Amino acid sequence: MNMQLLKDIVIVSPLIALFALSLFPVMIKVFRGNREPNPYVTLFLGFMGLSLATGLTAALSGAKQTAFSGAIVFDGVTAWMSYLVYLITAVSLMLSFDHVATKGRQFAEYVFLMLNSVLGMIVLIMSNDLIVTFIGIETMSLCLYVLCAMGKEDVLSKEAAFKYFVLGSFASAIFLYGVALIYGTVGSTVFPEILEAVGTLISTNKLFLIGLGLVTLGFAFKVSIFPLHAWTPDVYHGAPTPVTAFMATAVKASTFIAFLRLFNSDGYGDAARFQGVLEWLAVLTMLIGNVAAVMQDNFKRMLAYSSVAHSGYLMVGLIAAGFGSNFNAGATSVVFYLFSYSLMTLGTFALVAMFERAENTAMSMDDLKGLAGRYPLLSLSLAILLLSLAGIPPTLGFFGKFYLFSAAIEQDMYWLVFWGVINSVISVYYYLRPIVMMYMTDDQPAEVLGAHLMTRMTVVFTALLVVLLGLASSPVLKAVQRSVVNLF
Amino acid sequence: MLLSAITFFPLLFALLVACIPGSRARVIRAVSLASSLIVFGLSLVLLAKFDRATAALQFVERLPWVPELGVSYFLGVDGISLWLVILTTFLTPVISLGSWGSIAAKVKGFHVSLLVLETAMLGSFLAMDAILFYVFFELSLVPMYFMIGIWGGARRIYATVKFFIYTMLGSLMMLLAIIYLMYAHHDTVGVFSASVLDFYKLKIPFVAGSFINPQTLLFFAFALAFAIKVPMFPLHTWLPDAHVEAPTPGSVVLAGVMLKMGTYGFMRFVLPLFPEAASYWAWLFIFLGLIGIVYGALVAMVQPDIKKLVAYSSVSHMGYIIVGLFAMNVYGATGGLYQMLNHGVSTGALFLLVGMIYERTHSREIVKYGGLAKALPVLAILFLIVTMSSIAVPLTNGFVGEFLILMGTFQVSKAYGVVAVTGVILGAAYMLWMVKRVFFGPAGELVENTGHPLRDLSPREIVVMAPLVVLIFWMGLFPNHFLDYSKVSIEHLIETRDNYQLTVNPSEATDVARTTPRSEAGK
Repeated sequence: MNMQLLKDIVIVSPLIALFALSLFPVMIKVFRGNREPNPYVTLFLGFMGLSLATGLTAALSGAKQTAFSGAIVFDGVTAWMSYLVYLITAVSLMLSFDHVATKGRQFAEYVFLMLNSVLGMIVLIMSNDLIVTFIGIETMSLCLYVLCAMGKEDVLSKEAAFKYFVLGSFASAIFLYGVALIYGTVGSTVFPEILEAVGTLISTNKLFLIGLGLVTLGFAFKVSIFPLHAWTPDVYHGAPTPVTAFMATAVKASTFIAFLRLFNSDGYGDAARFQGVLEWLAVLTMLIGNVAAVMQDNFKRMLAYSSVAHSGYLMVGLIAAGFGSNFNAGATSVVFYLFSYSLMTLGTFALVAMFERAENTAMSMDDLKGLAGRYPLLSLSLAILLLSLAGIPPTLGFFGKFYLFSAAIEQDMYWLVFWGVINSVISVYYYLRPIVMMYMTDDQPAEVLGAHLMTRMTVVFTALLVVLLGLASSPVLKAVQRSVVNLF
Repeated sequence: MLLSAITFFPLLFALLVACIPGSRARVIRAVSLASSLIVFGLSLVLLAKFDRATAALQFVERLPWVPELGVSYFLGVDGISLWLVILTTFLTPVISLGSWGSIAAKVKGFHVSLLVLETAMLGSFLAMDAILFYVFFELSLVPMYFMIGIWGGARRIYATVKFFIYTMLGSLMMLLAIIYLMYAHHDTVGVFSASVLDFYKLKIPFVAGSFINPQTLLFFAFALAFAIKVPMFPLHTWLPDAHVEAPTPGSVVLAGVMLKMGTYGFMRFVLPLFPEAASYWAWLFIFLGLIGIVYGALVAMVQPDIKKLVAYSSVSHMGYIIVGLFAMNVYGATGGLYQMLNHGVSTGALFLLVGMIYERTHSREIVKYGGLAKALPVLAILFLIVTMSSIAVPLTNGFVGEFLILMGTFQVSKAYGVVAVTGVILGAAYMLWMVKRVFFGPAGELVENTGHPLRDLSPREIVVMAPLVVLIFWMGLFPNHFLDYSKVSIEHLIETRDNYQLTVNPSEATDVARTTPRSEAGK
């Protein structure tokens, strides 16, 4: 075996660890004659896989390395985003363990699918080649399609999975078509070569531009950017809540990183029209997400639309990174925002999960009535998380927006930032509504929630982190900055 | 450390109060009152140690917060902010004690909100870093939002959400302007900074007569945030709603201190940061201020609800402050600052008294009253005194403030002065008319009704009102006791406005140099 291959394998060892550990629960189940292993064991094995992968990632991080002839890259951002995805997954597993739709009969398969979805995400984060990106997206998505359908009796869950699958395949095809066009015009699918060619091709070669546009659309579907956002509310609503939490955070985080890598070139500076299109997409994404969220009574759908809106904010950072003169500042703000957004969203969905005692139930805003009287700590935590999503200081959400808008203002993109601000104001309206329900409606005893120890802890801890890391955002920012500088 | 102590003690005490079981309402009230008194004591230490001979920033504390973008934890006090700090720490115990009657449910939540709000308000007045200021400025919305939303009247949710969103819209525009200034500082000096002192040094390009130039846009971004907060006509519509729905203590904080955050912002940021734009557009702000004065007074006159009447009188009074500040002479600015304090004291007192009437009869409709003076003589006397202060009768504090503002206004233009004076007359008219209808004449249906006996003020309520009444006369008779502290700062602001610089007190400079963060250039 030659040394190069060995080195390459070492670089992807977190992936191997994840895959190996993901097999354990299902293997146990197979060898026990299709009897479900103890869920604690399954959960433990899932955590083992994640911590092993985290450990290996930590051991590998350092200088930028590439593997498999440059198709895979391991750099600061890879490490950072991997940690984030592992964290999200660990929390999602905890939520799933408590949740009615996912615990029980098929937990072993569930953990298998989740870890393999993570595997796809890490491939996506590491990919330095459009084909590898595609493989990452597909691995991630195929697992997600099944995960969405894990609600055993829930009709909406099946509908969500089917909808997601059909539309997702469509988006993958669009993506692949774009890759083909880029390959045809550049002669390579490796990012560095594409990015080098951008400067000359983008204004002269229509075919390349179309290819780039199609690839962008493929990404846009995964992170629900207008006009490919329409699946989001239905799928987020139908999928079991822990899966929704996982999708809303980890998928967005990993896809945006791949998206960022594609924009790491000075060549985009001249592509004013392409930039214009992306800016409009960002603005419309924010607007549609926020305006639609205002009209929702179903809490989960409201969060789904809010996640669409947050994709719009992230696009602002992405455009600042790609089309401005300072890629690092933009990329830092995007990575930081992903981090803050993931924390807040996880906590909020965790609370939603607590309200679902049976399948086929949807949590409405009215369910929150009187919550503050019965559950003061939970209500306070949710209030903090929502205020953070709205970007009220001194929470993490405020600093996320602050850095994002800073990056865009540095590039003189005032128009874009102006829309970001208008949207933040709109969003305040619907983020305040649950708080109104919890604290300001006439007291009537709230529903009695299940014990759900781990879910409860998630809500409280994310809220605590959102405040603490908000007050001390500087170390986080510095770490992100360092990872971004030594990257790409 | 003194400023940090003043700012964060209320927050610490809020945590302490949060640990007391909710059923022990009396303990909670006592602890909350005691803690706000401690903070007031600390602020008196600040007052005693304050050096009134210098315009420089004193008691400076500076630590890096987000050094990557030059954001620091930077507190300081000068003659402009000193009295607003004292006003906040003074009103909080008064409100705390005053709330014993009006807040019966969820006592713990209320006192925690009040103390958190105190930290946010003090922080806004003391922060000398623009981002830190923004953080406190926005943070103050949250407890106020809860105060109106939980303890408010029937339409409280509409009112509180409107209040929140209105204010947020303005302040986010200001955030963009602050970020712009941070980059402007980076482009000219080479390092990031969000310190207001560094912002003062920037020369921001200005083109007269056009909108699309940096200084004008920044000026309007800041001015919008503060104009909503003040609130200036035509951005005032959230205020009557918020005031009417808010519980009495909420109204007092709102009128007493939170509105001052807007006028303080004009003095601290808008006037010195954008001198050319402020001079060029001063006519607009004076014009809107004058409209506010007259409009607020006219609308107040026709209000059937006492509280709404007082709320619109706030719009009118805040109009004076804006006119005074944009007159841009020493009289106007001094009067503006003094009127901020007066308005805090007298409108705060009015809201408290209206609240006390409401607690007795559960109605605020003027037509249902009449002859209240016979039933409640002590309350009537106090109400009359506070009314005198509100309509600026000589010997009361209101007279000094309005007189100074009118002096300043006449210096700018006689026409402005004449309009402002009509506001004084209208103000006297609506207040006295209201007093007449409520306290004198034949007994109204609520006063007659023997079903609920009207008891005059309790000792607690007299204790609540006493310091306010004392201040009304003290500030009216000896304005120099107060203005001496601010004189140097205001003169410095007005005289060097075109090239305003604020330095850190030299005696503390060495200390600052040691703690100033190494600014990191680039990223």
